[in-house]
Amino acid sequence: MAELGTMALLIGLGVNAYSLLGSIIGVKIGLPELIVSSRRALYMSILSASVASTALIAAFVQNEFAIKYVADHSNTIMDRAYVWVAFYSGNEGSLLYIVLILSIISSISVRFAPKQLARSIPWTIAILAGVQLFYFFVLSFFANPFELLETVPAEGRGINPLLTHPGMFSHPPLLMGGLIAITIPFAFSSGALLAGNYGDDWVNVARISAILGWGVLGTGMLLGAWWAYTILGWGGYWAWDPIENVALMPWLVMTAFAHSIMVQKRRGMFRMWNVALLNIAFVLAQLGMFINRGGPVVSVHSFAASTLGMIFLGFLMFSLIFAFTLFLWRMPRLKSDRAMESFLSREASFLVNNFLFLAVMGITLWGVLFPLFSDLARDVSVSVSAPYFDRANGPVLLGIVVMMGVGPLLPWRKASSRSLRQWFIWPTAVGILTILVLLSLGVKRPVAIFSFGVIAFVAFAILEEWARGTLARHRNGENWAKAWWKLVNGNRPRHGGYIVHISILMLGLGIIGTNFYQQRTDGALEIGQSLVLDNYRIEYVDIGDSSRPDRIAKWAELSVYNIDVNSYATEKSTAKAQGSTGFTLDDSTLRPGDRLISQINPWHGFYLDFNMASVRSGIRSTIIEDLYVIPRDFLPDGRVSLAVSINPLAWWLWAAGPIFILGTMVALWPQAADRPDTQMKTRITRESEI
Amino acid sequence: MITFGCIREEDITLEQRMHQLNNQLMCPVCDAQTIDGSNAQISKDMRAKVQELLDEGKSNSEIKDYFVLRYGEDILAAPKGIGFNLLAWIMPVFIFLAGISIAFLALKNMRRANTKAALTVTYKQHDLSEYLKQVDTDLGIYEDKISQDHNPNNQSADERKS
Repeated sequence: MAELGTMALLIGLGVNAYSLLGSIIGVKIGLPELIVSSRRALYMSILSASVASTALIAAFVQNEFAIKYVADHSNTIMDRAYVWVAFYSGNEGSLLYIVLILSIISSISVRFAPKQLARSIPWTIAILAGVQLFYFFVLSFFANPFELLETVPAEGRGINPLLTHPGMFSHPPLLMGGLIAITIPFAFSSGALLAGNYGDDWVNVARISAILGWGVLGTGMLLGAWWAYTILGWGGYWAWDPIENVALMPWLVMTAFAHSIMVQKRRGMFRMWNVALLNIAFVLAQLGMFINRGGPVVSVHSFAASTLGMIFLGFLMFSLIFAFTLFLWRMPRLKSDRAMESFLSREASFLVNNFLFLAVMGITLWGVLFPLFSDLARDVSVSVSAPYFDRANGPVLLGIVVMMGVGPLLPWRKASSRSLRQWFIWPTAVGILTILVLLSLGVKRPVAIFSFGVIAFVAFAILEEWARGTLARHRNGENWAKAWWKLVNGNRPRHGGYIVHISILMLGLGIIGTNFYQQRTDGALEIGQSLVLDNYRIEYVDIGDSSRPDRIAKWAELSVYNIDVNSYATEKSTAKAQGSTGFTLDDSTLRPGDRLISQINPWHGFYLDFNMASVRSGIRSTIIEDLYVIPRDFLPDGRVSLAVSINPLAWWLWAAGPIFILGTMVALWPQAADRPDTQMKTRITRESEI
Repeated sequence: MITFGCIREEDITLEQRMHQLNNQLMCPVCDAQTIDGSNAQISKDMRAKVQELLDEGKSNSEIKDYFVLRYGEDILAAPKGIGFNLLAWIMPVFIFLAGISIAFLALKNMRRANTKAALTVTYKQHDLSEYLKQVDTDLGIYEDKISQDHNPNNQSADERKS
């Protein structure tokens, strides 16, 4: 398998080098046959990437421990299903996975690119082939997954225990796929610039490919958050870890792009800006690759760390210089068709939203890089972690949510004062009312209360528009559901966007709830003892063992009771006097009002070979709050050490996921209304060519 | 009176303060984890130390200083806003203000008709598509009656009425 794989990688290197040079030379000397054959060479890289990937997977299946990568990332007792995870669990394999995905999506996007792009497609192909060439080059010479060991071990080291979970079938591939997918819109916009095609022909294909990559990346991040929270027992879902940040930054820029490209599509404005956004996103994606692979900052995700840092840094610098030199060279030709008519317009609000997204990106980048600056400037290490990012980014993120309500309420071009009043009055009233109601209920935390008000404002603005539109159609005799669906179908990018906005609001609810209102307590329990936190009583009923040769694993059987707080008043006041949030009960007798609501079995495993602990948290979830239990440790004296928290509104974080995906799909679904338009355009283009 | 801002230290339990502090101290031997989230032995010891210092009645900043003295500045999850590290905190404000000013300047600039060049360079599909949509609308094919005043390709509802 090793020879086959290495051969396939070298062929991939060859076809991409040919495709890159062939496209450029073909255009320069005007040889259409060479251009066509370069395009076919690009399609060929699917074949070589698939053969190499299949060879690696086959090597895993057959336990070929002669191959170093296989020996390092699997063993014979590993569950066979995890072969797919083992494939990308290390550096070399994940690079191969990335090039596999890139070759597939770049071929598809080139194959189905609109005809009007004929002039710039060779340049797009050259860029795509250039990026693939880099990855095949690294795979062939610096990170070859088919490298052989001199002595063949009898058994492999096994897969990283943190990765042996079904969540790992989707989270890493989506994240890596989403990051690399940014290459596609970048190749189309830069290809158009190289070809001197200053029109908007590339806009549709770039928008669709960008939003696809954006949706995949967003889904990957959400799955990662969900996995960290529900499974890993990291206690939280987003730690502002460097690796999380480098995935978030390009996503933020792509979010800005998803908005501002609509302005170019509909109004012929923001041409320079959209190209710049794609450049920034692409460069940030390369920064992500660099930091992921032997970069200079530490992370909890150091699964794939390596010494490839310098090579990726080189490619990052090259991308940066290439993208922005090209941009500055062509910039004077990228003028808008129209002037901005008013500050109070959709266009203007999109521009403000864009700068807010870039501000969050810039602040995050600054936080990621600051430890490096500190090291260089004064030789002192500092850490920049969650408390920093929460405080620095929090206010800007809230600003983005405000714009999420304001932007859609403003019409294109120019808002009249009458339409302003008409559209803003009710959402604003609902927002203020929400704040007043929360205050009167005695809810604490002013910042959180204000944020809830903002969320209510945005939510009502969306619902109001849907209600008005649906009502108008309903009056014309359609039933409610059909009327709403037709409304959404009438302008999918817009209403798909609203659906995504709703998912972001749900995320907002979860983030505010868990950040501002979390309750925490720790305790070590013997069997029969209980831990009480707020209105929950958690009784340690029994211990279970699921150890295997490679791990010591135990789980606790816990009964969760909903309690009447009055029955526990004495203990509660004693605990409060001692400064504790929760308290321990020694006896297992139930008190009046105790009601068994759930059984949870948090699990704790220790992997000897990896010297690594892995945890599954126990969760009892409702839409109001989660009871969240992490088994910290099973102590030698038989007690279990638990970290227990109540996470208000955490459920909404995960409910947002499907809505996010739905909204992205609605926004992307081809718009029927576009079609006659496009056909007309093509016909006219053809006629003008004749 | 309503006090805006964060909850004051004395309003919360010692245990809550302990969890806050545990989330503001990094585990020295782990990769990018706080002692609250880590199970390393040193994290357990540090958590116990935080508890001990709290029981002694130390303030949050005294406790943080205690750890900085022993482990160095990188024990803090976020740098303190003094000296060189002030830069860490000032820069976000600067980035935000710069972003907003650039957006504002760009808007002002775009309001002036800085757009002539483009009209001569590219073939104007936009105007054509608008025209085609207008034709469709007039023929009653193109339905977008609902969001009329949001649709740039038709005249706004206000204009139409006047």
